Amino acid sequence: MDFFLLLLATGLVSGAAYGMIAMGFALIYKATGVVNFAQGELVMLTAYIAFSIAASLNLSFFPLVAVTVPIAMVLGLVLERIFIRPMLGEPIFAIVMVTIGLAVIIRGVTIMIWGPDPFDFPAGLSTNVVFIGDIPFYPAQLYALGALAVLVAAAWFFLHRSRMGIAMRAVAANEKAAMLMGIGVARVHALAWSLSSAIAAVAGILFAANFKLGPDLWFQGLKSFPAVILGGLDSVIGAAIGGLVIGVIENMAQGYLGQGLREIAGFVVIVLVLMIRPYGLFGEREIERV
Amino acid sequence: MRMKSLVLGLAALLMASSAHAQDPGVTDTEIKIGDVNILTGPASFIGRAVSVGSKLAATEINEAGGVNGRKIVIATEDDGYVPARSFQALKKLIEVDGIFALNGTSGTANVLAMMPLIEENNLPTVVTTAPSELIYDPVRPPVFTIGARYQDAFFGQLKYIHENLEPENAVYGLIRQDDDFGVTVEQGYDRAIKELGVKDGIRLKYKRGTTNFSAEVVQMRAAGVNVLANGAIIAGAANVLSEARKLGMDLQVAAVWSEDMPPSVKLAAPAGYPYLVADYVALNDEATDAFHKLAEKYLSPDEVGAINRYSYITYVGLKVLAKAMEGCGKELTRACTIEQLRKIKDFDTGGLTAPISFDNEKQLSGTALKIYQLDPATQTFKTLVDFTDYSPNE
Repeated sequence: MDFFLLLLATGLVSGAAYGMIAMGFALIYKATGVVNFAQGELVMLTAYIAFSIAASLNLSFFPLVAVTVPIAMVLGLVLERIFIRPMLGEPIFAIVMVTIGLAVIIRGVTIMIWGPDPFDFPAGLSTNVVFIGDIPFYPAQLYALGALAVLVAAAWFFLHRSRMGIAMRAVAANEKAAMLMGIGVARVHALAWSLSSAIAAVAGILFAANFKLGPDLWFQGLKSFPAVILGGLDSVIGAAIGGLVIGVIENMAQGYLGQGLREIAGFVVIVLVLMIRPYGLFGEREIERV
Repeated sequence: MRMKSLVLGLAALLMASSAHAQDPGVTDTEIKIGDVNILTGPASFIGRAVSVGSKLAATEINEAGGVNGRKIVIATEDDGYVPARSFQALKKLIEVDGIFALNGTSGTANVLAMMPLIEENNLPTVVTTAPSELIYDPVRPPVFTIGARYQDAFFGQLKYIHENLEPENAVYGLIRQDDDFGVTVEQGYDRAIKELGVKDGIRLKYKRGTTNFSAEVVQMRAAGVNVLANGAIIAGAANVLSEARKLGMDLQVAAVWSEDMPPSVKLAAPAGYPYLVADYVALNDEATDAFHKLAEKYLSPDEVGAINRYSYITYVGLKVLAKAMEGCGKELTRACTIEQLRKIKDFDTGGLTAPISFDNEKQLSGTALKIYQLDPATQTFKTLVDFTDYSPNE
């Protein structure tokens, strides 16, 4: 039982990181119809920005997040303005290629600025072990779980109760109709990038606090992709739940089935989900009448 | 006038023929040495350190008058740790820069990718950063390797733990990458299990690039592991120890020699485990102090900041190469340099490594290892065992 609970707890922790990154993917996809292949790189870049802020201002966790998130939002806006806005109206494939190019640029720039060495980055959090029942956690791990819960609640409120959120859903449902109704599609796209960068910043800080900060952090974007597929590419909250499920599946696969299986477990889930329910567990089925 | 032209023509002809007699990369004033290394990407701290070592050795040799009056010039190419790029880089160094010999050689797969060019050009090559059996077995005549095997490094550490630290109810465990490097780590672990007669609790493999080791550490805890052969490297090794600390595991840890480099130590020390490292390079004595003094004299602060174990070993590599070239006198050729390298015996590196000898079947030296222990509080290492050869008796 102890073994199972430890696997479950640590699976939820890694799943929380996947979930946050997956939410960023889903938010941009929902608003723009584009899979942003630079989402993992955004997580990495914002984590490095937080690292520099923490090093220069010596901030504890909450002030660090409070300073980093607005910077990340501005960064998201700038990236959208420079790389994505000019592509408005172009084929989706072309826009996706731009995000792939953006990913490579961010990786290069990050190493140019911060160098290739990985860093220990406690992010202003204590590293003393705390127990919930008999299960040990680092504070950063509990914060990751808490942050996912807060982001899910905020995303639900934003998408269902705020004017901008409803506008975003309208754009997602039918961009041309939304435009005819007077919704500023470009503004919605920019907002999606901005919010997605904010989520990336929280995910990046907490991932680095749990698993070190290094130039390979971008890879977590790919690792989170099964969560997006499982939850549904257009379901922000589904992506978060998908992250938790993938994190737990990976840990259980490693713990019970065998060596190295964790790395492929998530992608096995992708294949199964795509075969059985191609729009994900929480995604919307697209019905096309012929 | 006609006579003067004839004399000048004859002189030019003589000079040209003497130039043809020499191998590429050698002029009356210079010897060009190549360096293919990892200067971009996450592993570039290795390549930068390698280049610093070569540069320092070249500067010191040149300050002392060069090799029989010829100055050493280093030509460096980046391979980004990609074997295909290593091949292209060496091709460029040979065909465009016209190097005479090779000192910096990147990783194992990279050296193997370059091997056809090295052999085809009979290029004297000192391998300092990839002491793998794949490099020196079978022996390639122009290739000389410095460094111990991972197998012996892990065996030596586990032997020390067994004989000196004597953990109660010892259960040994292994975590290693699922690649050639990981296989060598497991071979050392396997030898320790058999020769020391200790309990083998669990063996785990992971994919390169893994960051989350929580499930693996839970598995180790369930197996009762209290002696860990930690074959993970850099952030991965630190994450293994961090998870173990969270679970309150009392561990004796043996680590890969990359874990004695400052970036790795900074990551791993917060977990608080005084882990062991076996290395064929000195880390903390008069030899390294002298190296740093020399570096501060000749190099920029940035270059001094890039120094790590790879700098020491590449410095040694170029010094050995220079010694061999010196043995050829003014008639410097690749064939002669290779012959001289083969004669190198007990070359004194000032304590940076055990004395270097290539006069053996494998053209391999530096198999002796020191065993160190980390003090996590000060992030420094103390020496537990001086240079000792842990190679199996064959």
